[in-house]
Amino acid sequence: MPIRPSFAILAGAVVCVASAYALAERAAPGFVERLKTQSDAAIADAGGEGVSARFVNINGSPTRHPVLEGGEALNEATRARVARAVYDVPGVGGVVWSDGTLRAESDEPTYQPLHCQEDVEGLLRTRSIRFEEASSALLPASRILLDEVAEALRPCLGSIIAITGHTDKAGTEPGNLALSMERARVVREALVRRGIPRDGLRASGVGSSRPVEGLAPSDPANRRIEFSVIRTEPLRPTPVDTPGAR
Amino acid sequence: MPLWFELASLMLAAYGAGIGIGWALWGRQNQHEE
Repeated sequence: MPIRPSFAILAGAVVCVASAYALAERAAPGFVERLKTQSDAAIADAGGEGVSARFVNINGSPTRHPVLEGGEALNEATRARVARAVYDVPGVGGVVWSDGTLRAESDEPTYQPLHCQEDVEGLLRTRSIRFEEASSALLPASRILLDEVAEALRPCLGSIIAITGHTDKAGTEPGNLALSMERARVVREALVRRGIPRDGLRASGVGSSRPVEGLAPSDPANRRIEFSVIRTEPLRPTPVDTPGAR
Repeated sequence: MPLWFELASLMLAAYGAGIGIGWALWGRQNQHEE
């Protein structure tokens, strides 16, 4: 009687799984024991006092993905070091802490704030970007200032830079709003021409609704352009196999 | 993941690859001859 090929293939797969199971059951205790010994040594070297690696999963089957237990009193840096030391033992898979997840924040480089905004504010403290009266045309002196502003914003490329236009109280509010918007747009275009990518620049106008603190709304000093650097979170790879403190 | 499961997955993958390669080399040829 001829054997159907699909049946033979299926039978082969079953034999495959059965032999894998038998082989693993035979070899696992010794293999896991070796991993455990090496991990214990690695934990001791890394200063992980009270930490133990459990190479058995919740169903009691041997595994090469240990769960680290204990060490609640250790600081995050030590925990991260311990996890990495265990992970570096040849044959060990992903490492998890019994009281945490795989994703670690603690051993990532600390966030260094950029100083562009302060730099720009410093530039604009004594001088301001000025326009012709009731117009969005830049005065020649402001062009030089814009060169400096563009230079100061350059380290923050990749962040969102908000450009907000303000006017004084003179004139009607809808007109002021349109004028402040137009001025912010002119500044944005000027920065684009100076090499700042357009997609990081947001121009908006608020008219005379937000005068400078301590100034009368009609004071001409309220005509100004403000910059704020909104830092965006950079994309960080988070490989699931990277062990961390929690 | 239990050790036996990892091993079974690997062996099944190798088995499947073997069947696929075998079929590509010989099975397809036999089909044309019939």
